[in-house]
Amino acid sequence: MAKAFKYGLKGITGYLEPAERDLLRNLFDDVIEMLEPATPAHQDPLAALVGFDPDVAEPTDAALKRLLPNAVRDDDAAALEFRQLTERSLRETKIGALRAAALGLDAKQLTLSQNDARLWAMALNDVRLVLAERLQIKDEKDAEAINAMMDWSQAKDVDSYLALVYNFVSWLQESLVQAMLRSL
Amino acid sequence: MTVSTAPSEDLRQETSSEELTASDVPWVVIVWNDPVNLMSYVSYVFQSYFGYSEAKAHELMMQVHTQGRSAVASGSREKMEQHAVAMHSYGLWATIQKQDQQ
Repeated sequence: MAKAFKYGLKGITGYLEPAERDLLRNLFDDVIEMLEPATPAHQDPLAALVGFDPDVAEPTDAALKRLLPNAVRDDDAAALEFRQLTERSLRETKIGALRAAALGLDAKQLTLSQNDARLWAMALNDVRLVLAERLQIKDEKDAEAINAMMDWSQAKDVDSYLALVYNFVSWLQESLVQAMLRSL
Repeated sequence: MTVSTAPSEDLRQETSSEELTASDVPWVVIVWNDPVNLMSYVSYVFQSYFGYSEAKAHELMMQVHTQGRSAVASGSREKMEQHAVAMHSYGLWATIQKQDQQ
């Protein structure tokens, strides 16, 4: 079994079983794949340099839209313009955090600096946002129903398995954030 | 000697009222509640990213949690756009708007 993250003299430390590392690696990879831009950086070198992407559109997949939400409400044109200027670099930031966390899983000891921990927390959060969308967690009530599933013998279909995975990742992120708050 | 190029009185007034709308009305970043983000994590983001005290971060987090939203920062449009992208990188849902639209 995984152990909760702790903050001590060595920094933030944790422990994960090999099977838990494999599970997290797969989750990080899945979200990285979702976030890889569908189109290559724009042909216009100046546009590419400033990160401007005229081909970008609001995602149709609900989970991807939760990762890359509109920054302006009730104004589609303004939201799209903002997206053209920022979405590509936001995708890169998120992929960077997920890759860093996935790489961290290869190390024997889970010893995280403050910055490693920040990237891990971001990566775990994005995994939870995607799982929550797949599990249709829309409000606090849905969340409570999912949180109640803690027993792995309950895993009898895809949804109950996803719920258990979601709860495991939530527990791991909570323990990490508690350790991070103590380190501030 | 130089020739005065001062604009007429009317034009000057128009310019100053334009400047008022363009730069003097601050923009805000609103963070919205959702059932996924951990309260501890939201508090951590407000402390570490904005540099808010534990008490202020907690207060803003509780405002998001109980009222559904909170204006967590205000200032120039450019700065608020940066903050919104940063919030999105952390997985928090944030939007920007003019302060008087609230």
